Amino acid sequence: MLIAEPLQTAIEELGKLPSIGRKTAQRLALHLVKSNPEVVENLVAALTALKENLKLCSVCYNISVEDTCDICKSVKRDRAIICVVEEASDIIAIEKTNEYNGLYHVLGGVLSPLSGTDADSLKIKELLQRLQGDTVKEIILALNPDTEGEATSLYLAKLLKPLSLKITRIARGLPIGGDLEFADEATIGRAVIGRITL
Amino acid sequence: MYLKELELINFRLHKSSKINFSDKLNYIVGGNGQGKTTILEAVYFLCTTKNLLSSSESEIVNFNENFFEAKGKFKELTEDLSRVLYQKDINKKFFYLNEKQIFRSSSVIGKFPIVTLTQPDHSITQGAPADRRKFVDMVISQTSETYLKILIDYNKILKQRARLLIQIFETKNYSLLQQLDSWTETLVEAGSELISHRIAFISDFNDYLKNAYSKILENAETPYIEYHHPEGTTAEEIKKDFYLKLEELKGEELRRCSNLAGPHRDEFTFRINGLELKKYGSQGQHKTFQIALKFAQFFYMKEKLSRTPVFLLDDVFGELDSYRAEKISWFLREVGQAFITLTDFTRFEKLNVGSGNSLFTVKNGCVEYA
Ligand SMILES: [Zn+2]
Repeated sequence: MLIAEPLQTAIEELGKLPSIGRKTAQRLALHLVKSNPEVVENLVAALTALKENLKLCSVCYNISVEDTCDICKSVKRDRAIICVVEEASDIIAIEKTNEYNGLYHVLGGVLSPLSGTDADSLKIKELLQRLQGDTVKEIILALNPDTEGEATSLYLAKLLKPLSLKITRIARGLPIGGDLEFADEATIGRAVIGRITL
Repeated sequence: MYLKELELINFRLHKSSKINFSDKLNYIVGGNGQGKTTILEAVYFLCTTKNLLSSSESEIVNFNENFFEAKGKFKELTEDLSRVLYQKDINKKFFYLNEKQIFRSSSVIGKFPIVTLTQPDHSITQGAPADRRKFVDMVISQTSETYLKILIDYNKILKQRARLLIQIFETKNYSLLQQLDSWTETLVEAGSELISHRIAFISDFNDYLKNAYSKILENAETPYIEYHHPEGTTAEEIKKDFYLKLEELKGEELRRCSNLAGPHRDEFTFRINGLELKKYGSQGQHKTFQIALKFAQFFYMKEKLSRTPVFLLDDVFGELDSYRAEKISWFLREVGQAFITLTDFTRFEKLNVGSGNSLFTVKNGCVEYA
C-alpha cells in the first residue's frame, strides 16, 4: 500500500499522541487534508503558542504562562500547606472542587522501576528545597491509589518524617453521594479493610 | 440458573447445531474428535467470555469459514440471552448480553457462575505448588472481587519490586534501597491481605471437601488441605512474620534479584488421613481428590454466591472404576445443571440417565437426542 509521504508522516505524528490509535490518526489526518487552509493554520498556531507560551512553573512545576504560576503567585493561597500530586492535570481536578486553598507540588510521575522512574527522576529534591525554612507546616500526599502511587506515598512519608511536618494523605474509599449498594464490591471491600477508628 | 438453549454456528465441527438442554444432567456421548467437548467449550464461552481450552479463537472457526457464533439462552427468574461472535479476518471477539454489547468481561463474570473439570486439572494434585495456588486463587476470586483486585495489585508489586532488585544489583546504587523499602511495605500490605483471605478460605473450604469426598468414597479416608499459615493467626502476626522473613532473606533477594517471600510462594498441601497425597497417593486417590475438589468448589460457590453454578465435566468417567463412576453419577443429581461428556456410555450400565436428565450423541459435529 502506497500512501503519500506527507500524509504518512502526519499519521505517524498524530499516532504518537495519547489515546490516539492508528485508525483515529488516519481519520484525523485525512480530515485535515480536506479542511480549509485556515483550519490547519489555526491549529498549527495554537499548537506553536502552546509550546512557546507555556512552561512549567519553576516553583511547583504546574503548567504556567509565566515563570511562576498563578497559584504560586497568589497572595490568597495558604503557604503553609503543599499538596503533592503526580501530574499537572491532578491540580485541575483538585482546583475544580474549590475545597483546597494551599499550594501544590507536581512530582511529574510516580516510582515505577518497570518504566524506569526512580526517585531521582521525580521532582523530589525540589520538594525538599521548598520545605527549607518553616513556612510549610503540612504536606498532603494526593497520589493515585494504585500500587505505584502507594509505594511513592510511603517513600515520601518516610523521607519527610524527620522534618516534623504534619503529613496527611487523601482518603481512599467510597465515592461521596454514592450509596453503598451501588458501589462496586472491590471498592467496598477495600474501604472495609482500610476502615478507621472513630 | 440454567442454560436452556444453545445454538452454534461454524463452531469447530458444528456447522449449525441447536440444542435444548435439561435443567438437570446432560450427558453428551461421542468418540474422540466428534465435537462433544466443543459443547462444553461453547457453554464456557457464554458464561465467562473466555476460552476453556488454551486454543486460540481462530482455531475454533470451522474450516473455510470466517466467523463463529455461539448463542445461549439462560433461564433464572427471567431469560438472559448471551452471544459471542468471533470474526477471523479482524481477529476480534464480540460479546453481547441481551443483544447489548459488553466491553468488559468483568461485567459478565459472576453473572453466570461456572465450575469446570477438564483433563489439565490433574495438575492441581499432581503438579507443582503453583498449580495448587492457582486453584485456591481461582476459587476465592470467583467469590470475592476484593480478593481478585488485591491479587492483581500484588502481582504488579512483585514485578516492580523484582525490577528494582535487578536495578540495585546492576547499578550498585544503594540509595535505591530506600525505594526498595517502600515497595516492601506495599508488598507486605497487599500480601498480608491475601494471606488472611486464604486462611479463612481454607478453614471454610475443608468442610466442603470432606463432604464431597465422602460422597464419592464411602470409607474412613479423610481429605484436607493444609495451609502453612495456621488458622487463628492475626493480621498483625501475619505482617510481623512477613517482615521478619523479608529481613532474613534481604541479602539473598539482592543477590538473586527476586522476591523470595510472600503469598506467591505459599504452599497448600493436600492430605488424606494425614498422609501427603502428592507423595503417597495412588492414581485412584488423586482422581477422587480432583473430583472432590471440584464438587467442593461447586457447593462452596453456590453457598457464597447464593446462586447455582453450571457444572462442566469433561470425560471424567474415562479413568474411573464403575464403583466411583456410579457414586459420582448419584452425587451429580444434587448439583443442578451439569454437562458431562463421555466417550462410551455402555461401559457404565449402572450410570442410568435418570428421569428429567438428557442424553445426546455427537457425531462429526451433529447432535442427536438419544
Ligand atoms: Zn507554581
